[in-house]
Amino acid sequence: MRRAVAAAVSRSKREIPHYYLGAEIDLGRAIEWLHGTNAMRSVTERILPAALFLKAVARGLRAYPELNGFWSDGESHPADAVHLGVAISLRGGGLIAPAIHGADALALPELMAALTDLVHRARTGGLRGSEMTDATVTVTNLGDEGATTVLGVIYPPQVAIIGFGRTIERPWAVNGLLGVRPIVTVTLAADHRATDGHYGGRFLAEVDRLLQNPEAL
Amino acid sequence: MTEQEIRDTVLRALRNVAPEIDPATLSPGVPLREQVDIDSVDYLRVLVELNEKVGVDIPEADYARIATIDQLVAYLVGRTGTARAGPPAG
Repeated sequence: MRRAVAAAVSRSKREIPHYYLGAEIDLGRAIEWLHGTNAMRSVTERILPAALFLKAVARGLRAYPELNGFWSDGESHPADAVHLGVAISLRGGGLIAPAIHGADALALPELMAALTDLVHRARTGGLRGSEMTDATVTVTNLGDEGATTVLGVIYPPQVAIIGFGRTIERPWAVNGLLGVRPIVTVTLAADHRATDGHYGGRFLAEVDRLLQNPEAL
Repeated sequence: MTEQEIRDTVLRALRNVAPEIDPATLSPGVPLREQVDIDSVDYLRVLVELNEKVGVDIPEADYARIATIDQLVAYLVGRTGTARAGPPAG
């Protein structure tokens, strides 16, 4: 496992000229909406913020397809579907990033079910071969115990990795008024051969917009 | 279910998501997330299993009340109406 990770990240850092962007996103509306919908759901149907993040990324990538796909033979090859690789840390060390197929087309409850299932199977050794090989982009989510910012290493031949840090309460000004809001730092590490920072920045702004309107996700 | 059976069920549910957990080393009065490496997906899986085995659906609004194993067991005891072990009060 350690050797496989070592080989992938070494190739990535050797071959891929990464650029990095970050955006702080106010999750106030998203979390309020989740609390509301989860209050009406049984524990088996409950939705975690992680699923909302995945959905926003998958939808955002539909609008910014150059970040979803591969770099090979000296050119960019955007993929037709969003197969969202989810970085999952394994007990005992190491990580894998199996894919949720067609994540942009899944309704939020379906995406949540797919995430729960994928994490469980990843940690119990029950993944299918295709899940391990055909991700078109990767999302890494450090969750609620980790660091606030993650600058990811792109998994080749993919061209982007999107990172979510720990959500923290922060003083936040809106329309000249200071309040306390739950803030997450979303980052993009992308292959500069395939896209430029301007394009990546617009993608992060789109993710922000989508998370401000969670009921539409 | 007795209080002890509920406690055993909680520990089994934890071990099902994190097999490396040794119940003997867990401090039942210290927040769980400070002692074991479980993420939000694991934690939800524990709550789903407790719902199946104990029959209690814990709402998100109550998460803050169940940070430690002792708090979680006491919460489940309260919700199931299980008689607490030990001599009756008064």
